[in-house]
Amino acid sequence: MIRFDRVTKRYGHRAVVDSVSLEVRKGGLCVLLGESGSGKSTLMRMVNRMVEPDAGRVMLDGTDIANVPPESLRHGIGYVIQSVGLFPHWRVADNIATVPRLLGWDAARVASRVDALLQLVGLPPEDFRARYPHELSGGQAQRIGLARALAADPPVLLMDEPFSALDPGIRRGLQVALRRIHAETAKTILFVTHDVEEALLLADELAVMQDGRLLAHGRPAEVLRRDADPVVKRLFGEATLAFHRLGTLRAANAARPASATQPAEAQLPILPPDSNLKQALMLMLESGTDQVALPGGATLHLSDILAAA
Amino acid sequence: MAQARPATLARDLATRAPPPPVPREATAAALLAALAASLPFLLGWLSIAANRLVSPRPVSLPLHGGTGLGAACFVLGCLGVALLARRRSLLPWAEVTAGLALLALLATLGLGAGAALDGGARLARAAPGAGFWLAALSLLLSAGCCAAGRDAAREGEAAGATPTRFLAVAVPGIVLLVASGVLDPLSLMREAASRGPELQAALWRHALLAAGALALAGLVAVPLSLLALRRPRLEAALMALANGLQVVPSIALFGLLMAPLAGLAAVWPALRGWGIGGIGAAPAVIGISAYLLLPLAAGLLSGLRQAPADILDAARGQGMGEGAILRHIRLPLGAGAMLGGLRTAAVQAVGLATLAALVGAGGLGAIVFQGIGQLAADLILLGVLPVVGLSLCIDAALAAAQAALAPAGRRG
Repeated sequence: MIRFDRVTKRYGHRAVVDSVSLEVRKGGLCVLLGESGSGKSTLMRMVNRMVEPDAGRVMLDGTDIANVPPESLRHGIGYVIQSVGLFPHWRVADNIATVPRLLGWDAARVASRVDALLQLVGLPPEDFRARYPHELSGGQAQRIGLARALAADPPVLLMDEPFSALDPGIRRGLQVALRRIHAETAKTILFVTHDVEEALLLADELAVMQDGRLLAHGRPAEVLRRDADPVVKRLFGEATLAFHRLGTLRAANAARPASATQPAEAQLPILPPDSNLKQALMLMLESGTDQVALPGGATLHLSDILAAA
Repeated sequence: MAQARPATLARDLATRAPPPPVPREATAAALLAALAASLPFLLGWLSIAANRLVSPRPVSLPLHGGTGLGAACFVLGCLGVALLARRRSLLPWAEVTAGLALLALLATLGLGAGAALDGGARLARAAPGAGFWLAALSLLLSAGCCAAGRDAAREGEAAGATPTRFLAVAVPGIVLLVASGVLDPLSLMREAASRGPELQAALWRHALLAAGALALAGLVAVPLSLLALRRPRLEAALMALANGLQVVPSIALFGLLMAPLAGLAAVWPALRGWGIGGIGAAPAVIGISAYLLLPLAAGLLSGLRQAPADILDAARGQGMGEGAILRHIRLPLGAGAMLGGLRTAAVQAVGLATLAALVGAGGLGAIVFQGIGQLAADLILLGVLPVVGLSLCIDAALAAAQAALAPAGRRG
């Protein structure tokens, strides 16, 4: 869907993005993780031509975007930034309707789309439609920012540290909302963050950048391997790397199937469905057992966790 | 319980929030109003000259009948301003009262002049005394203080503190007084009556000169500012030019323009048909517009830059073109700052147009310079007062527009 082909961007003599090749599959949520100045935002902004690469090319659905006029390219790519950037003199409904109006949709279609989007991001339309941005909290404003990006139903969404300025509780709510929206809409999302927890919570794929270079790319479990790059280890914290890795592994994959010879013990604590190994370990620590049961009847032993990690 | 009550009462008294402090501007307004009330009595209302050529000498006001009533209204009005200005919420009313006091002052003067001249020689002339002028000035300043205090009370931007309420009362009131003939005995009005058509023509000419200069400056400043938005070097050049022009004395600039324009008219005589020549409107309009370049361009550029970087980034990221960004983002968000520049430029244009008379362009300046030549104070005032009035009205109108155009989302 999105393919970076050895793209480079230099400011003066410094290569901010240094020959990066990366592919994000259609419908995937790829998190670009790195410290500030690692070039992750610059790489992301190449997709909608907010930054033009000095070398290499960016392909979108097989087309080189250098051949697409920036404005029409951007109409098809949702864009969410940390500072939200809602237009202060426009009401919420007008802000959301920005791209549909640029595309010349008729008023009735725009209005129904605005209401649908407000529903999607979890804000009651009748309450929020007519508000001005200064009448919104930070979390509400970013939900509107997300709705605005999704307005014309673009297949691709670029998100540049969208939740970094929010309080932790609000941030968690928006992360959950984003996962739900991603599952419902199957957009291809490129998400930039420096927050390790956020990256692991959201990512289908993880791309780690440092000094303009791509250090690691793959499913989170692959990126957090035991023999990971030292920089990756440092980024995730050497002491907690293994713990983070447990969070990327599904408990069901490590569990022992229910067998007739060894019936599951009834009093074992039950792990919620779709849990990962980190949650399984936490449950063991919490209940003081070395075994937990999975909803299907399978059991998970402490040794299974050690083996999987 | 009964014993506890006095204790809570005392605590209530101790913890009760102090009344909101009266803004300093309000204190100044009250003092100025009190000063205004006493000034005509101390320094004289009226002076009378036997004819137009001898110097006037102060006379006392015959304080009976209509004149006495007017004076009483004036003093009461000033007291009203002083009392109303003690409360922040009443400041707008203090401003209105100051306008009413000014009208009472004027009416008293007119009635008093009529009474003092009654039966006097036909050539005798009554002019306002020093006390009147200073009282009128004090009232204007007092109203300005009220407006400033009112704006300071409102959080956020001070809108330049134009006493719009004062003007809204005073301007129609003065028009009414003039129309009713109350002021006719004053020498200024006699002068105006004898020069009625001339004055009217000069006023129109003056407004036209100012508007023409403003339009010409706009024609230059608007496209250059739009271009300078993207080209820092052009901006530096534009601002250097606009700043440099401010340093040239205006009369020198008019003079400098005369030679090349006269030359142009000599080469292309057709230009003369358009009124372009070394003397007349052309050098005046061009010269004035040169001075308006700085306030206009500075206001435009700062207006165009009002939109914050993150909002521009969001707009571009959604695929808005530069034209759409200008229309939908930069202009609405910058309208206030741009109108501020226009306001400065318009007021400056009206003032500078007075000097246009020096290069034969006419306008109210012609009357002023004629008065200076004849040492006729009334004639000078006849030219100056409309200039002051025009400036104040334009300033107030643009201030009101500025307030009305504040972006909806930013309005408190």
